Amino acid sequence: MRKEMRPYYISRAILSIGFGALLYFTGSPLWQAVLLGAAILGLFLWAPHSGRYSVHPELGVNALRRDEWTQAVNDKAARNAFAAVMLLVGGAGLYFGAVGAALVPAGLLRALLIAGAAVYFGSDVWMRRNQQK
Amino acid sequence: MYTLHEKTMELRNKLKDVRLQKNLTQAELGQRVGVTRQSIIAIEKAKFVPSVKLALELAQALDAPFNEVFWLEEDSRGD
Repeated sequence: MRKEMRPYYISRAILSIGFGALLYFTGSPLWQAVLLGAAILGLFLWAPHSGRYSVHPELGVNALRRDEWTQAVNDKAARNAFAAVMLLVGGAGLYFGAVGAALVPAGLLRALLIAGAAVYFGSDVWMRRNQQK
Repeated sequence: MYTLHEKTMELRNKLKDVRLQKNLTQAELGQRVGVTRQSIIAIEKAKFVPSVKLALELAQALDAPFNEVFWLEEDSRGD
Protein backbone atom coordinates (compact mmCIF):
# COMPACT_ATOMS: atom_id res chain seq x y z
CA MET A 1 0.00 0.00 0.00
CA ARG A 2 1.41 3.38 -0.98
CA LYS A 3 1.78 5.62 2.04
CA GLU A 4 0.36 8.67 0.22
CA MET A 5 -2.84 6.72 -0.51
CA ARG A 6 -3.57 6.04 3.16
CA PRO A 7 -6.27 8.73 3.51
CA TYR A 8 -8.11 7.21 0.54
CA TYR A 9 -7.93 3.63 1.89
CA ILE A 10 -8.85 4.62 5.45
CA SER A 11 -11.84 6.68 4.31
CA ARG A 12 -13.06 3.86 2.06
CA ALA A 13 -12.68 1.29 4.84
CA ILE A 14 -14.85 3.52 7.07
CA LEU A 15 -17.44 3.83 4.28
CA SER A 16 -17.48 0.06 3.75
CA ILE A 17 -18.00 -0.56 7.48
CA GLY A 18 -20.76 2.08 7.40
CA PHE A 19 -22.57 0.33 4.55
CA GLY A 20 -22.28 -3.03 6.30
CA ALA A 21 -23.55 -1.54 9.57
CA LEU A 22 -26.45 0.14 7.78
CA LEU A 23 -27.49 -3.19 6.31
CA TYR A 24 -27.14 -4.95 9.68
CA PHE A 25 -29.12 -2.35 11.62
CA THR A 26 -31.90 -2.38 9.05
CA GLY A 27 -32.54 -6.03 9.77
CA SER A 28 -30.26 -8.03 7.47
CA PRO A 29 -28.34 -11.01 8.87
CA LEU A 30 -24.80 -10.32 10.06
CA TRP A 31 -23.22 -12.49 7.35
CA GLN A 32 -24.95 -10.47 4.62
CA ALA A 33 -23.78 -7.21 6.17
CA VAL A 34 -20.20 -8.47 6.43
CA LEU A 35 -20.32 -9.78 2.86
CA LEU A 36 -21.62 -6.47 1.49
CA GLY A 37 -19.03 -4.49 3.46
CA ALA A 38 -16.24 -6.74 2.19
CA ALA A 39 -17.50 -6.52 -1.40
CA ILE A 40 -17.64 -2.72 -1.26
CA LEU A 41 -14.18 -2.55 0.30
CA GLY A 42 -12.91 -4.86 -2.46
CA LEU A 43 -14.26 -2.47 -5.10
CA PHE A 44 -12.63 0.50 -3.37
CA LEU A 45 -9.30 -1.37 -3.19
CA TRP A 46 -9.54 -2.35 -6.86
CA ALA A 47 -10.56 1.09 -8.14
CA PRO A 48 -7.08 2.74 -8.10
CA HIS A 49 -5.69 -0.20 -10.11
CA SER A 50 -8.63 -0.53 -12.49
CA GLY A 51 -7.41 2.05 -15.00
CA ARG A 52 -10.82 3.72 -14.79
CA TYR A 53 -9.58 6.67 -12.75
CA SER A 54 -6.54 8.87 -12.75
CA VAL A 55 -4.86 8.61 -9.37
CA HIS A 56 -3.84 11.80 -7.52
CA PRO A 57 -2.52 10.80 -4.07
CA GLU A 58 -1.95 14.46 -3.20
CA LEU A 59 -5.75 14.94 -3.12
CA GLY A 60 -6.07 12.68 -0.06
CA VAL A 61 -9.53 11.13 0.29
CA ASN A 62 -10.44 12.36 -3.21
CA ALA A 63 -7.43 10.65 -4.79
CA LEU A 64 -9.41 9.13 -7.65
CA ARG A 65 -10.56 11.42 -10.43
CA ARG A 66 -12.27 10.82 -13.74
CA ASP A 67 -10.29 12.19 -16.63
CA GLU A 68 -11.93 13.65 -19.71
CA TRP A 69 -12.04 10.40 -21.68
CA THR A 70 -13.60 8.53 -18.74
CA GLN A 71 -16.06 11.39 -18.35
CA ALA A 72 -16.95 11.24 -22.05
CA VAL A 73 -17.56 7.47 -21.78
CA ASN A 74 -19.73 7.94 -18.68
CA ASP A 75 -21.71 10.73 -20.37
CA LYS A 76 -22.43 8.56 -23.42
CA ALA A 77 -23.39 5.59 -21.24
CA ALA A 78 -25.78 7.81 -19.25
CA ARG A 79 -27.29 9.15 -22.49
CA ASN A 80 -27.82 5.58 -23.77
CA ALA A 81 -29.41 4.51 -20.49
CA PHE A 82 -31.73 7.53 -20.51
CA ALA A 83 -32.79 6.86 -24.12
CA ALA A 84 -33.38 3.15 -23.38
CA VAL A 85 -35.47 3.88 -20.29
CA MET A 86 -37.53 6.52 -22.15
CA LEU A 87 -38.21 4.03 -24.98
CA LEU A 88 -39.22 1.38 -22.45
CA VAL A 89 -41.49 3.84 -20.62
CA GLY A 90 -43.08 4.77 -23.94
CA GLY A 91 -43.47 1.12 -24.89
CA ALA A 92 -44.96 0.25 -21.50
CA GLY A 93 -47.36 3.20 -21.80
CA LEU A 94 -48.54 2.02 -25.21
CA TYR A 95 -48.84 -1.59 -24.07
CA PHE A 96 -50.78 -0.89 -20.91
CA GLY A 97 -52.90 1.67 -22.75
CA ALA A 98 -53.68 -0.82 -25.51
CA VAL A 99 -54.67 -3.61 -23.12
CA GLY A 100 -56.70 -1.13 -21.14
CA ALA A 101 -55.05 -1.99 -17.86
CA ALA A 102 -56.19 0.36 -15.12
CA LEU A 103 -53.30 -0.64 -12.89
CA VAL A 104 -49.68 -0.81 -13.96
CA PRO A 105 -47.69 -3.41 -11.98
CA ALA A 106 -45.44 -1.89 -9.32
CA GLY A 107 -42.66 -4.25 -10.38
CA LEU A 108 -42.44 -2.34 -13.67
CA LEU A 109 -40.57 0.53 -12.00
CA ARG A 110 -37.98 -1.86 -10.64
CA ALA A 111 -37.65 -3.53 -14.06
CA LEU A 112 -37.13 -0.13 -15.72
CA LEU A 113 -34.46 0.83 -13.18
CA ILE A 114 -32.67 -2.49 -13.67
CA ALA A 115 -32.86 -2.10 -17.47
CA GLY A 116 -31.47 1.45 -17.23
CA ALA A 117 -28.60 0.29 -14.99
CA ALA A 118 -27.86 -2.64 -17.33
CA VAL A 119 -27.74 -0.36 -20.37
CA TYR A 120 -25.51 2.11 -18.50
CA PHE A 121 -22.96 -0.47 -17.36
CA GLY A 122 -23.16 -2.42 -20.63
CA SER A 123 -22.51 0.74 -22.68
CA ASP A 124 -19.68 1.75 -20.37
CA VAL A 125 -17.90 -1.61 -20.71
CA TRP A 126 -18.54 -1.82 -24.46
CA MET A 127 -17.20 1.67 -25.16
CA ARG A 128 -14.12 1.13 -22.99
CA ARG A 129 -13.28 -2.10 -24.81
CA ASN A 130 -14.14 -0.78 -28.26
CA GLN A 131 -12.03 2.35 -27.87
CA GLN A 132 -8.97 0.34 -26.81
CA LYS A 133 -8.90 -1.80 -29.98
CA MET B 1 -14.39 16.28 -36.80
CA TYR B 2 -15.77 19.56 -38.21
CA THR B 3 -16.24 21.40 -41.48
CA LEU B 4 -13.89 24.21 -42.48
CA HIS B 5 -14.56 25.98 -45.77
CA GLU B 6 -16.71 23.02 -46.82
CA LYS B 7 -13.93 20.54 -46.07
CA THR B 8 -14.34 18.02 -43.30
CA MET B 9 -11.35 18.27 -40.99
CA GLU B 10 -10.13 15.77 -38.43
CA LEU B 11 -7.60 16.01 -35.64
CA ARG B 12 -4.68 13.67 -36.28
CA ASN B 13 -1.82 12.91 -33.96
CA LYS B 14 1.60 11.34 -33.77
CA LEU B 15 1.39 10.84 -30.04
CA LYS B 16 2.58 7.24 -30.10
CA ASP B 17 5.64 7.98 -32.26
CA VAL B 18 6.69 10.97 -30.18
CA ARG B 19 6.07 9.07 -26.93
CA LEU B 20 8.23 6.16 -28.11
CA GLN B 21 10.97 8.58 -29.20
CA LYS B 22 11.03 9.85 -25.62
CA ASN B 23 11.07 6.29 -24.23
CA LEU B 24 7.89 6.79 -22.27
CA THR B 25 5.21 4.19 -21.59
CA GLN B 26 1.53 5.04 -21.94
CA ALA B 27 1.18 4.84 -18.16
CA GLU B 28 4.12 7.21 -17.60
CA LEU B 29 2.77 9.75 -20.07
CA GLY B 30 -0.68 9.47 -18.52
CA GLN B 31 0.81 10.07 -15.09
CA ARG B 32 2.62 13.18 -16.33
CA VAL B 33 -0.60 14.81 -17.53
CA GLY B 34 -2.91 13.28 -14.91
CA VAL B 35 -4.98 10.96 -17.09
CA THR B 36 -5.40 7.19 -17.26
CA ARG B 37 -3.45 4.86 -19.52
CA GLN B 38 -6.74 4.06 -21.23
CA SER B 39 -7.11 7.71 -22.22
CA ILE B 40 -3.66 7.72 -23.82
CA ILE B 41 -4.55 4.55 -25.75
CA ALA B 42 -7.84 6.07 -26.95
CA ILE B 43 -6.06 9.27 -28.11
CA GLU B 44 -3.25 7.36 -29.84
CA LYS B 45 -5.79 5.26 -31.71
CA ALA B 46 -7.72 8.43 -32.64
CA LYS B 47 -10.84 7.10 -30.90
CA PHE B 48 -11.02 10.14 -28.68
CA VAL B 49 -10.37 13.80 -29.46
CA PRO B 50 -8.75 15.43 -26.41
CA SER B 51 -9.59 18.91 -25.24
CA VAL B 52 -7.27 21.76 -26.25
CA LYS B 53 -5.95 21.85 -22.68
CA LEU B 54 -5.11 18.14 -22.61
CA ALA B 55 -3.58 18.24 -26.10
CA LEU B 56 -1.35 21.14 -25.06
CA GLU B 57 -0.41 19.36 -21.84
CA LEU B 58 0.51 16.22 -23.79
CA ALA B 59 2.74 18.16 -26.18
CA GLN B 60 4.35 19.93 -23.23
CA ALA B 61 4.86 16.65 -21.33
CA LEU B 62 6.57 15.21 -24.40
CA ASP B 63 8.66 18.35 -24.77
CA ALA B 64 7.60 18.56 -28.41
CA PRO B 65 6.09 21.38 -30.50
CA PHE B 66 2.31 21.17 -30.51
CA ASN B 67 2.12 20.98 -34.32
CA GLU B 68 4.46 18.04 -34.32
CA VAL B 69 2.11 16.01 -32.15
CA PHE B 70 -1.33 17.22 -33.27
CA TRP B 71 -2.52 18.65 -36.57
CA LEU B 72 -5.67 19.01 -38.66
CA GLU B 73 -6.14 17.00 -41.79
CA GLU B 74 -8.87 16.74 -44.36
CA ASP B 75 -11.06 13.74 -43.64
CA SER B 76 -9.88 10.92 -45.92
CA ARG B 77 -13.41 9.50 -46.07
CA GLY B 78 -14.52 12.71 -47.80
CA ASP B 79 -18.05 14.04 -48.12
